[in-house]
Amino acid sequence: MLRKLALGGIRSRFRDYAVLFSGLVIGSAVFYMFLSLATNKAFLTANTMVGMTSFIFGFGELLLVIITTVYIVYANSFLMSMRQRDYAMFMMLGAKSRKIAQLIFIETVTVGILAAVVGIVFGMGLTGVAGHALMAQLHAPATHFAVAWPPAIFWTFAFFLVMFVVGALINAHKLLKTPLLALLHAATTPNRLKAKPWTLAVQAAAALVLLAIGYWAMSQFAKLVLMGVAIALVTIVLGSYFLFNSLLVWLIGLLKKRKRFAAKGLHTFTLSQLSFRIRDYTRILAVVSILFALALGAITVGLGFERDIPDLAAKQNAYDAVVVAPNQATLAQARRLTGVVAQVNYHLKSDAKHFYFNAAELDRDPLMFARFSHGPTKYTKVTAANFAKNAGEYASQLDQFQPKQIGGRQPAVLSAAAFAKLDRPVQIAHTWRLKDFTANYDQLAALNKAMIKQYGKQSSAVYGQKFTYYAMVNGAFSGMAFMGFFLGIAFLAMLASTLMFKILSGASYDQSRYLMLQKIGVRPALLRRSVRQEIGALFLFPGLLGITHVLFGLKMFVGLLQEPYGHLALPFGLFLILYGVYYVLTVWLYERIVIRQDLAADSQQ
Amino acid sequence: MDKTGHNYPIGGINMAEQPVVSVKNVTKTYGKRGEKQYQALKGITFDVQPGEFVGIMGASGSGKTTLLNILSTLDRPTAGSVAINGQDVTALRGNQLADFRAKRVGFIFQDFNLLENLTARENIALPLALQNVKSAAQQAAVTQIAQTLGIAAVLDHYPTELSGGQKQRVAAARALVQQPAILFGDEPTGALDSQSARELLNTMAQLNAQQHVSILLVTHDPFSASYAQRILFIKDGQIGQELVHGEKTQEQFYQEILTTLGTFQQ
Repeated sequence: MLRKLALGGIRSRFRDYAVLFSGLVIGSAVFYMFLSLATNKAFLTANTMVGMTSFIFGFGELLLVIITTVYIVYANSFLMSMRQRDYAMFMMLGAKSRKIAQLIFIETVTVGILAAVVGIVFGMGLTGVAGHALMAQLHAPATHFAVAWPPAIFWTFAFFLVMFVVGALINAHKLLKTPLLALLHAATTPNRLKAKPWTLAVQAAAALVLLAIGYWAMSQFAKLVLMGVAIALVTIVLGSYFLFNSLLVWLIGLLKKRKRFAAKGLHTFTLSQLSFRIRDYTRILAVVSILFALALGAITVGLGFERDIPDLAAKQNAYDAVVVAPNQATLAQARRLTGVVAQVNYHLKSDAKHFYFNAAELDRDPLMFARFSHGPTKYTKVTAANFAKNAGEYASQLDQFQPKQIGGRQPAVLSAAAFAKLDRPVQIAHTWRLKDFTANYDQLAALNKAMIKQYGKQSSAVYGQKFTYYAMVNGAFSGMAFMGFFLGIAFLAMLASTLMFKILSGASYDQSRYLMLQKIGVRPALLRRSVRQEIGALFLFPGLLGITHVLFGLKMFVGLLQEPYGHLALPFGLFLILYGVYYVLTVWLYERIVIRQDLAADSQQ
Repeated sequence: MDKTGHNYPIGGINMAEQPVVSVKNVTKTYGKRGEKQYQALKGITFDVQPGEFVGIMGASGSGKTTLLNILSTLDRPTAGSVAINGQDVTALRGNQLADFRAKRVGFIFQDFNLLENLTARENIALPLALQNVKSAAQQAAVTQIAQTLGIAAVLDHYPTELSGGQKQRVAAARALVQQPAILFGDEPTGALDSQSARELLNTMAQLNAQQHVSILLVTHDPFSASYAQRILFIKDGQIGQELVHGEKTQEQFYQEILTTLGTFQQ
């Protein structure tokens, strides 16, 4: 009987539970996705820079645990708000406290376990699809990447179970302490916007000071390291909360005071809707702005790392490929390169200690060497005249001109006459400079294979190639980029479900209000506009604050990325499109709940 | 659907004026064809003249709420026509329907139906704001109607801070602020104590007598009904009987209603 009552409650309010449940499933799926990487040590060591691994994942795990906890707390209070009237009714009919506590326990834990199980399965699917797609994009070797990873399954399940058992106990305790009458008449009570001006001012000042400290801590990341992150996390979360609490209240009050604006159409109603739940919303908006910043930041940094890979490779070597005395197979591969900007051949001769360039050739086509520096890549042109001066500095780039079968010789220049006189066989060095290295990735990989076959893996010719260097940087950075994207998507998914869940969970209260408005003759188009504005405000403010957080937060990556602020249009644009899609979806769902399409159809009372 | 609506010859006391509400042969059937059907209204015909205060009485399940929903355009009849101020309301759709509700009819419901996130003032001003009436004009209209209904002192309170009687007055003010053709009341005293109920009914009678507001009141309470000039009794989806207040005192009329109810329900 007890189980029937508890589970019957779920069936009778299926739509509300569907919102709740889908949010929790996304939560646990993201949790699983993250853990499947974080607990896979073999994957991490194979794909990331050693020092950074534990730091990034430690930080990520901490955030994810905090955010998932907040989310589950919300989910639990939502669950209780749906059920407390029923529980009160059971109590009125004589159910004992113990029974009610059991009922709550069964219901809450069932929801938690189901969400965890479905979420883990869903998470495996996401991990498979997202993981493989991202790794293909980044040319990262998919070594040790596992879709079904037992430790992750275990920890996700354990975390959700513990959280929901604790949640159930708290829920039961809270419910049994509330007077029965209060439960029966649990209705929404209005929040009067009577915050005193000076409290608002104090909160606004506190917000600014806290945010300033947080932003400063992030800019001092090089010195403070983990401490800086911890300071920033605390101050920015609190600062965001105070900012919303003071700024929104002030803004709504201001708009309401402007009579000409407020007295038009549904403006008063829309503003009141916002102020009505402002206390409810400030917390969630603060959380959303943080999630927004984390998601956008992670994606921006991920893209930054990805962009740095060819950049860093370009700074090591001016030539995209150099092949000395190729055989037919190697040359055939080299000829398949596309978008060739410059193709220059040099004649080389070598003796026991040196290999020689022809001075006439160098003067006609100077050698190009990349000079390592921050910012745009700079090149040095080397001719016969400055060869000796530069040979030392660019030794590694000169290495790729080593005559293959011999190797281990020093580079040198001979005058045209001396070069002609030297009685040694001529070898030709073919150089290519390409418009787009990454577009030629497959051809270069094939060329690299042919060269290894011709010269052997350890030859300096292969080792000095840009492709080899690219592969090395890629190994280190693509892991970071991958994690950036992955975390970005994970945070975005959580943000999406958090805000959507919060807004939709209030929709059932709003239903009667919108029905009322329809009854007194508000045009459906006007109602829809009010919905769009209300939800728009809830999306806009955390979005703006989130962008500000990111702009300051990128300071942390000044030392790690070439240009952390260099290419923001792509990640910001992409992210805002996703955010926008998600706004449209929320509006659509909300309208379906609160606006009766055909009022006439079911107004029977 | 019968589209002849407003073309039929007007009957009743006042031949010169068009009736404010004109209901002709309205039926309402629930349930789809082929399924089990239930006929809530079986052909209702009556008029309300301008300035009239009409009561509609009936037991639970008699069809009176269905009738009111159709009159107030919240529901559509299966057949028959409803004209308000000469306009066939069953033909209205979408925005026309919304505008008609906003301008031509006012409602008071048993459960007040106030927006609890707006103050009394904002609740009353809402219909005007929807028509983009200037802010100053809105305030003037609100102040005036609030004085008429005796709620000027509580205008800046939220509904949860008001008593039941005050809430219903705010609802009445909101319904009347647009000066609608007719005021519909659905058991407006149902959730009020007897003192507040009496006050509200007195106010309605006063509005009717002094400002010629047409009122259609649906109720099952004989005392509320005794304020009307004419009462229609509905039973099983049909009008069974009609009582006219005439020259009787309210006490006499009340007794007559009680007697009628006693015999009518059997």
